[in-house]
Amino acid sequence: MQPQTVKMVITGPYSAGKTSFVQTISEIDVVSTERKITTEAERIKDQTTVAMDFGRITVDRDLVLYLFGTPGQRRFDFMWQILAQGMLGFVVLVDSARPETFREATKILEQFRAYADTPYVVAANKQDLPDAWQLDDLRIALRLDENVKLLPCVSTQKESVKNVLLELLYAILEEMDMQQQE
Amino acid sequence: MKGDLKHFGPTRLLNLVSLAKKTGTLSISRRGRGEKADLSFQDGKLVFISMNDADGSLVSVLQKVGKINKKQGDSLAAHAKKHGDKQLGLLLIQKGYVSRSDIVKAIKRHALSSINEFAKWQDGSFSFDQGVLPGEDRILVPLDLENIIIQIVRMQKRDEQLLETIPSLDVGLRYTDRSKSQKPDLKLSKEEWSVLRLVKRDNTLRMIAKSLEMDEMQIRRVVDSLREAGLVELISMNTPASRKLTAEEASSKRTLVKRLIETIQGL
Repeated sequence: MQPQTVKMVITGPYSAGKTSFVQTISEIDVVSTERKITTEAERIKDQTTVAMDFGRITVDRDLVLYLFGTPGQRRFDFMWQILAQGMLGFVVLVDSARPETFREATKILEQFRAYADTPYVVAANKQDLPDAWQLDDLRIALRLDENVKLLPCVSTQKESVKNVLLELLYAILEEMDMQQQE
Repeated sequence: MKGDLKHFGPTRLLNLVSLAKKTGTLSISRRGRGEKADLSFQDGKLVFISMNDADGSLVSVLQKVGKINKKQGDSLAAHAKKHGDKQLGLLLIQKGYVSRSDIVKAIKRHALSSINEFAKWQDGSFSFDQGVLPGEDRILVPLDLENIIIQIVRMQKRDEQLLETIPSLDVGLRYTDRSKSQKPDLKLSKEEWSVLRLVKRDNTLRMIAKSLEMDEMQIRRVVDSLREAGLVELISMNTPASRKLTAEEASSKRTLVKRLIETIQGL
């Protein structure tokens, strides 16, 4: 019998660290669709995701969690809605040291909220960099309400990535509790 | 010089006239829309503009800025028709109704608002008549085009960004949680208050704009400033609302999420 599969989506602006986030926690080598960057203006890194990153965490024989990292560049945003279908929740990853991407992060967050009314958390990635913005400042810059979880993150560190995913799962439980009370 | 704005846009056209220091009148006609404009230049400077109903006459520009009322305007128009704007201007200054500075300011204001409107035109046939200027009786106020062009380009860039931020008007608005705790003495413009009053679950931006008689860019500007202030957020009208789970489904989902939590904790 095929195991039940659930999925979470990792989204965020270009170069926020989505691919490394999925790579850090996935039990399989991430199926990545990275291609060399062709536009000079976008050459912050050598490669970029053009379709999705795909990672997996097996719970047991009956249940598997899939992690999908979205492409960050706008010209591949047609993939976002496809990836968002049926997701359990989503993580918006933001590069804490690149304020020029904050506006884009807000737009992406709004876009994903429009796709599905599912719980989400925002992860402030690259908190280990000296120029990283503090969480309080980031919350204001990203116009996040008090009740939205904004978590520190270093996407190359397993414990940090685990914490973000766990907080998303706790948020899902909290939302279910709220719905049951209504 | 003849062409269509589709191929040679307003800012490029103004830039050309300015750089070439041309003297003459640029006439634009948008037949399909019944719109027309005449822009006169002297040595590359804009000196007179008439656009659709705003004919640039002294009476109309003074009326527009509230220096004279409709009734006064009607009686002065007859005088202007007979003696011209220059004579009328002198008369009004002598009688102490307006100052010279009032007249210049009113004409400049009319010219700036008209040229900003013209800059939005994306089609229309144009022709430039070299050396042709408005009649002697008209008051010509020279305006440097460089700064105007820079301002227009800046506005166009902002509009492009707005289109990217709010691509569709078929979306709704809702108050953010933060907006509920905002101070009551918030200083908002009249337009912003008007839009806020219409924030309701089923109202799309298109409906709000129609109700407030705003054009597509106006509503985008107002909504963008309200979003920047953290008062509202956009919502898709097609967002599937999360279905309330049955007790059995909820229990099953809860078990599933707890299994995921245990697994991730153990990684």
